[in-house]
Amino acid sequence: MLRITGGTIYDPANGINGEVRDLYVEDGKFVSSFTGGRTIDATGLVIFPGGVDVHTHVAGGSINFARAMTPEDHRRTQAFIRSQTRRSGLGGMAPTTFATGYLYAGMGFTTVNEAAVPVLSARHTHEEMADIPIVDKSCLVLMANNEIMLDLLEAGEYERAKHIVAWHVWAAKAYGVKAVNPGGVAAWKWGKDANQLSEPVEGYKNTTPGSIVTSLAKIIDELGLPHPIHLHCNNLGAPGNITTTLETMKHLEGHRAHMAHLQYHAYGGDDWDTMKSESAQLAEYFNAHPNMTTDAGAVLFGDTVTITADGPWQHLLYKLTGRKWGNLDVENETGCGIVPYSYRPSNLVNAVQWATGLELLLLIDDPWRVFLSTDHPNGACFWRYPEIVQLLMCADFRKECMAGLPPEIMNRITLPEINREYTLYEIATIMSAGPARALGLQQKGNLGIGKDADMVIYHSDKDIARMFGHPRYVIKRGEIVIEEGDIRETPDGSEYLVKPSFDPGTDEFLRPLFEDRYCMSFENYPVEMERIERPDLQQCITTE
Amino acid sequence: MGGKVTCTLGEVKNRADFIVYWGGNPAECHPRHFTKYTLMQKSPFLPRGRKDRTMVLVDIRETKSAKASNIFLQVRPGKDFELITLLRAMIKDQPISEAQVAETGLTIEQLQDFVSRMKAAKYGVFFFGMGLSMTRGKHMNSAALLTLAAEMNAFTKFVAMPMRGHGNVTGADVIMRWQTGYPFGISFNRGYPRYNPGEFSTVDVLVRGDTDCAFIIGADPGATMPQPAIDHLAKVPTIVLDPHVTHTSKLARVHITTAPAGISAPGTAYRMDEIPLPLRPALKSPYPSDEEVVRRIKEALLEKPDWMGERPQMLQNQI
Amino acid sequence: MNKIKLTLKKNPTVVLETEVISPDYFLERTHEEICASVVYHGKREKRLDEFFDVDGERSDCIEIHGDLQRVRHVGRAMTRGEVTIHGDVGMHLGALMNGGVIEVHGNAGDWVGGEMKRGKIHIHGDAGQQVGAAYRGSIIGMTGGTILVDGNAGIEVGMRMRRGMIVIGGAARDFAGLQMKGGTIVLCGGAEIRTGAWMQRGTIISLKNLALMPTFAESGVYNPTFLNVYSRHLKTLGVQLPFAEVDGRYRRYSGDQGVPGKGEILIWEPAV
Repeated sequence: MLRITGGTIYDPANGINGEVRDLYVEDGKFVSSFTGGRTIDATGLVIFPGGVDVHTHVAGGSINFARAMTPEDHRRTQAFIRSQTRRSGLGGMAPTTFATGYLYAGMGFTTVNEAAVPVLSARHTHEEMADIPIVDKSCLVLMANNEIMLDLLEAGEYERAKHIVAWHVWAAKAYGVKAVNPGGVAAWKWGKDANQLSEPVEGYKNTTPGSIVTSLAKIIDELGLPHPIHLHCNNLGAPGNITTTLETMKHLEGHRAHMAHLQYHAYGGDDWDTMKSESAQLAEYFNAHPNMTTDAGAVLFGDTVTITADGPWQHLLYKLTGRKWGNLDVENETGCGIVPYSYRPSNLVNAVQWATGLELLLLIDDPWRVFLSTDHPNGACFWRYPEIVQLLMCADFRKECMAGLPPEIMNRITLPEINREYTLYEIATIMSAGPARALGLQQKGNLGIGKDADMVIYHSDKDIARMFGHPRYVIKRGEIVIEEGDIRETPDGSEYLVKPSFDPGTDEFLRPLFEDRYCMSFENYPVEMERIERPDLQQCITTE
Repeated sequence: MGGKVTCTLGEVKNRADFIVYWGGNPAECHPRHFTKYTLMQKSPFLPRGRKDRTMVLVDIRETKSAKASNIFLQVRPGKDFELITLLRAMIKDQPISEAQVAETGLTIEQLQDFVSRMKAAKYGVFFFGMGLSMTRGKHMNSAALLTLAAEMNAFTKFVAMPMRGHGNVTGADVIMRWQTGYPFGISFNRGYPRYNPGEFSTVDVLVRGDTDCAFIIGADPGATMPQPAIDHLAKVPTIVLDPHVTHTSKLARVHITTAPAGISAPGTAYRMDEIPLPLRPALKSPYPSDEEVVRRIKEALLEKPDWMGERPQMLQNQI
Repeated sequence: MNKIKLTLKKNPTVVLETEVISPDYFLERTHEEICASVVYHGKREKRLDEFFDVDGERSDCIEIHGDLQRVRHVGRAMTRGEVTIHGDVGMHLGALMNGGVIEVHGNAGDWVGGEMKRGKIHIHGDAGQQVGAAYRGSIIGMTGGTILVDGNAGIEVGMRMRRGMIVIGGAARDFAGLQMKGGTIVLCGGAEIRTGAWMQRGTIISLKNLALMPTFAESGVYNPTFLNVYSRHLKTLGVQLPFAEVDGRYRRYSGDQGVPGKGEILIWEPAV
């Protein structure tokens, strides 16, 4: 039992904006009151619900590939030293699993969503997630380039495709569906890309990226997955891709959708020399279409490693930077590319990217629909979120940072004209309550009675980055895990799954197709429930 | 710079129309490779199976695998690195003369033909074996082929993959990476993982005598390592976990018999392309699994005072 | 001159990591503080004076006696002062060094001057592998300073180095100047195979004939004027680099075409 008294509470899910209240925790949940128990005096401190990351890459084949490729970064980064109760680890661009848990908890995040899991190696992702301590986890299975599903859509067998999607969600023990560069990864396997939303995908006659997007969004709504289609649009990072993004959004009308890392999809111009931000245009459309949520995919200057299922983009980056390149194509499903990268303020393209991410966060007016993310590790590492919070809350600090950008950038961005400053209440929304709602995790991002007692207690501090980077306490399900920067406890988190219903005959339908294309036996493909440590099965929902 | 461009074996099965085995003898060492993945399989993209695929063998001698190949390139022993570097130059249209090629044991026509076939391929793949990775030049030979594959992507799709040896080497590599950031050659003596192959890799540590105890799981270094390493294993307390009596267990101070993984102990194995496969035990064993033994040793160690002195939780600058 | 003298009194049974043996660390410390400096014997924390007799305090001039083959990281990241070792020394000597001088009257292990930035290291005996090299995964090795090895050196001398100079008095083994991006390597006793493999820029000078990679093209015979300057500089370090036309000439090769790179290898041909 734990009582937290006198703290100033920001709980957007319950409309509480900076009120002083007491919180009571029993058996890991908030309760209305009790007597006795340990008391934390939080007078003068600020309390948020525990952070929720809607889009990150922390476990699985691709981040593990990135770890292998960056020993030079592991050497220069901070090390976590083992103790009798705590495992050792390394932070940096691609932190090790144990360090991932410590670093997320260390800045008050208690739930993370791993955004890209191929079914073929889902077992691997789950094994890694079991080694990420403290935080609760979920993951999204990659579907938009699954050739069996694409073939069914091509043949007009929509219902069958729906069963296939549901079957894959359960086989991967995932929580939702991610669509990456629909049709484009399949084309990349021939060294090509899918750039036009309305042109057939390489190897198909009727199926276009646009039709894949619409069908998948509809399937996911009909299946009632708590989290809508999680979409990484085509043409990531390319100048002028705003057209593709807007067209994609039109294909989603009438459906719920989460647009991943929108920053990478909000560019105008014709090439790298003329590239500019089109965040204003994008935000205008987005603001008028409440069916969508998004995360920023913001960029911060510095070193990182880019990893994405977008193979064509990664090959381009490799050619641009001439640095290391890793690529992994996964049969029938997806692929991923990995390139270490440095974002520099002196580089015009990088500067535009930096501004675009912030512009989106500032121009999208509903904080319930735009969330804090860097598409870790692509735009920046997740442990740098406090720097973004500072940029959002302090217009003066933004201006200071802009002074360091090349002068010719000013007619390519709108950031200098934006004076909005986020309030603490809005930060609590984009960092916790909003992403929890978008994920459909009702237990999270909410300090109400009966909800999971995940919270973070900050010192009130004028230095915003320090305030959010160094919480006074972080509490996970009622247990103090971080206290003044020290890791106190490292409990294991849960894993969220859903089981959408599908035709029991799907196995027999899939088996021959599977054996034709894959090179492992069909029985070994789905991840068994016993392989998930601490599973937490969530219910599907009805959408209208 | 280098890097690694690879794929899963199913991609090879479905798409690869140009397959190169370099320094390996799959016909004898990986006998099912041709039939399951690389040559005989048909797919929607390669409907005629073997007829739609070209196989090249690069090796120092004409092994049984040469019979299965369309083209056999017999490279002079110890000239793989030179040959690959020449190929890197040739794909980028650097002027290369007959004289420069001579030392590889091949002709300029052979190389030109090979390069044009690589570029004409729709999906090319290099598999490389110990004939490349364990001969003079070692990791640089592998790096050379990985780099060539990466550079080929300027022209067409190309990937490269090592043919690993026995045991679940890949699995150990994968797990070490997610837990420590590094695949092998790791020291924990400072309380956090540090990596330096050549300094911390097992064989080097043993040969130099840098350790005063050895704990061996799922390996038989007594059969494969150089004599000074084996001598050192015999000298220090060596503990072996193995289902069988091995060369190492014979010289060990302690041998704990464990249940054989995959036969009577469950778990996950990682295939050479890092695809995880479940192990479903078929038999019961009276012996504990490796995992259980390690867990019990760990529990017993927790009873003892911690060997670490007062060290900070976090280090900003590593050694 | 005030000096700190360390004498090995107990042989470590496993590796001893002593990055504290550095002028920067000792300069402001009392005798007692130096004695109590933490070293790692395998995984265990020990005091420096468990292994060394310590004489002197507060100095950036260190003299060490004994067989230090198992002692690693001496002079790591030092920026000033002098370290003189009478005996052999283990790995990572002067790694990441940024100034000062190290002199070894004996042999040294691997990674001498790994990723060093400035300063000078002189090994009178042999050196191990990866002299002045990049650590695994790093894109850049040594970026400045000078390493002199009177004896032989192992593989990958100057791997990925960008600036600075390495002189090997004896013979180097394989892959000298691997993926070199700049700087100079002088090989007085030649090298085994694959010298200059994948080099992008930089200069390798060999006084003995070399078996070159096939991807190096011969591009003339000459006596470059810059060698005149080099020779004078090297003379102050005790190395004789011939340059006069009466003594012979240099055959120049450029490569590595595989990259393709613009490095050069100069091989001395003495006049007959």
